[in-house]
Amino acid sequence: VSAAQLVSVNLLGFVDQGEVGTDPYRIDRDGHPYVPVGDGGTVMGLRLGDGVFDAVGDHAAPGVCLVHPSDDARHALVGLACLGNRAVVRSGDAAGAVGAVLGKRGGGQRVIAVFPQKVLASLRPGDHVAVTSRGQGATTPVVGVSQLNVVPEALGPLGITVHGDAIEVRVRATLASRTIGNGIGRPMAMWDVDVQVNASDSATRGLCLGDLVAITDLDARYNAGYRKGFLSVGVVVHGASPQPGHGPGVTVVLSGPKEAFVVQEERNNYRGLSEERLLALALAESES
Amino acid sequence: MKVNSNLDHLLTQVLAGEVWPPLADRHGYRVDPDGHAFFLPGMGGVTLDVHCGDPATGYAGDHVEPGLSVRHRETGPNYALQYLTCVGNRVVVVSGPAKGAAGFVIGQHAYVLVDMPSEEMAQVTTGDQVRVYAHGQGLALLDHPDIVVKNCSPALLRGLDGGDSSNGQLEIHVSKVVSPEAVGAGAGMASEYANTDLMGAYAGLSDDLSLGLESLRVGDIVALTDQDHRFGRGYREGWTTIGVISTGSCQLFGHGPGPSSIMSGPSSAFNVVVDDDANLANFGLDQVKGHS
Repeated sequence: VSAAQLVSVNLLGFVDQGEVGTDPYRIDRDGHPYVPVGDGGTVMGLRLGDGVFDAVGDHAAPGVCLVHPSDDARHALVGLACLGNRAVVRSGDAAGAVGAVLGKRGGGQRVIAVFPQKVLASLRPGDHVAVTSRGQGATTPVVGVSQLNVVPEALGPLGITVHGDAIEVRVRATLASRTIGNGIGRPMAMWDVDVQVNASDSATRGLCLGDLVAITDLDARYNAGYRKGFLSVGVVVHGASPQPGHGPGVTVVLSGPKEAFVVQEERNNYRGLSEERLLALALAESES
Repeated sequence: MKVNSNLDHLLTQVLAGEVWPPLADRHGYRVDPDGHAFFLPGMGGVTLDVHCGDPATGYAGDHVEPGLSVRHRETGPNYALQYLTCVGNRVVVVSGPAKGAAGFVIGQHAYVLVDMPSEEMAQVTTGDQVRVYAHGQGLALLDHPDIVVKNCSPALLRGLDGGDSSNGQLEIHVSKVVSPEAVGAGAGMASEYANTDLMGAYAGLSDDLSLGLESLRVGDIVALTDQDHRFGRGYREGWTTIGVISTGSCQLFGHGPGPSSIMSGPSSAFNVVVDDDANLANFGLDQVKGHS
């Protein structure tokens, strides 16, 4: 079966402010209140390669979250945006700056886009950002494996290579499906999955934003759910959360039978996706 | 359950609710584990012929909500209804041909779900108004300070088998013990709202989807292993959560029959006894009179 040509669509996103409820507190897993910092909006001081537990934050993402005031348009923006897509600021003090889509999070709610820190400083919530979406509908040459949320050109920089009928993935960590919390049961073109881990857990020691991880017994081709013998691979797109059932977020890019994958867990020598490599993908998109 | 508690100090709030219609969008279909589309009955309305003690799975349905699905029209009052209502609370229909009919709450699922005798339930439809006697939040087991109790009415507490034991643990009878692999949608949500969908209960689908939960019944008391639901629902090794199965069959992947959470604490605080009779149908909740 030959792959159909992917469709590119120009979309408009708006720089997010983030929202906090009428009560400033959320409750952590031991019942203690905390003020959520960095849950959406434009977050400075956090970059790809930083540890997921380094910052005092709640679901903080490295860059800017993009939204749309219409719910339906927002769902389309989030569903269609893929890792590696070009994002160009169209209004405000940062107009003309080029960034890249990293991933997406929560209920068709937010696209996460990475920009250099000095661009983030000149953004303001409400600024317009054009996103050229491309990637959904891409197929893998390996039968039974679904690809989503990623432009094909990003697979190499992510550490994903196809050898015949197997997909080799270099990952920081392999996680069990039982640690997957918020996002399970939801459509993976629209959501990330939160990993329920803490800084003290050995399984996720050294886990950084931009790392690739493998999740066992998780079928994430459509909705995410338990399926023995399946494997899902995704990119860490936001940091930890004190809330029970939440944690660092993974945008899934591949899912299929585990036999289709060769997983190399590299741990200490591993280097995940960097800001430079992600931005280079977006710049290459604008030239093509 | 013979246990030292503060139930004499709990208040009752009288709340209004309305039987809510099923909702769909114009595209209709949702997606099963294999990517196939389905359109099936489930949430909302009055779902007949499924009562406490009946199988939770095996229906051609998705998120089957037994009995009446009740909410409030306005956001704030609805959260009051969803958060304050407890399993086992009494509900009375106050409008329509079934006016005066009474039932009891079997759980929450973004709606309050109400079981009542078939003959009276058949007379209820969407838009009918109900009165809920919310009674139970704040319940504490005085000799088990590590166990947090939620969504549990005094009537349910009385019906549960088990109680204080000489070694300091709380004995609790459950019909099934559930592994953490089964926990699907609902993880990360507030413990006072909706429930925890259990995967691995897709009767009739392939073995790689099964976690041995196809025999769950509506109203079953279950123990969830490695789950801490004291302040929201999360995975935590060494913790146990007790729940009541309030919803049934799902075809939507990552979803399934779900328990409302009623107790949560360190696993060492519980002595879990597997007992096939641990089901709401055996607790006499339909006999509850007055408001508790």
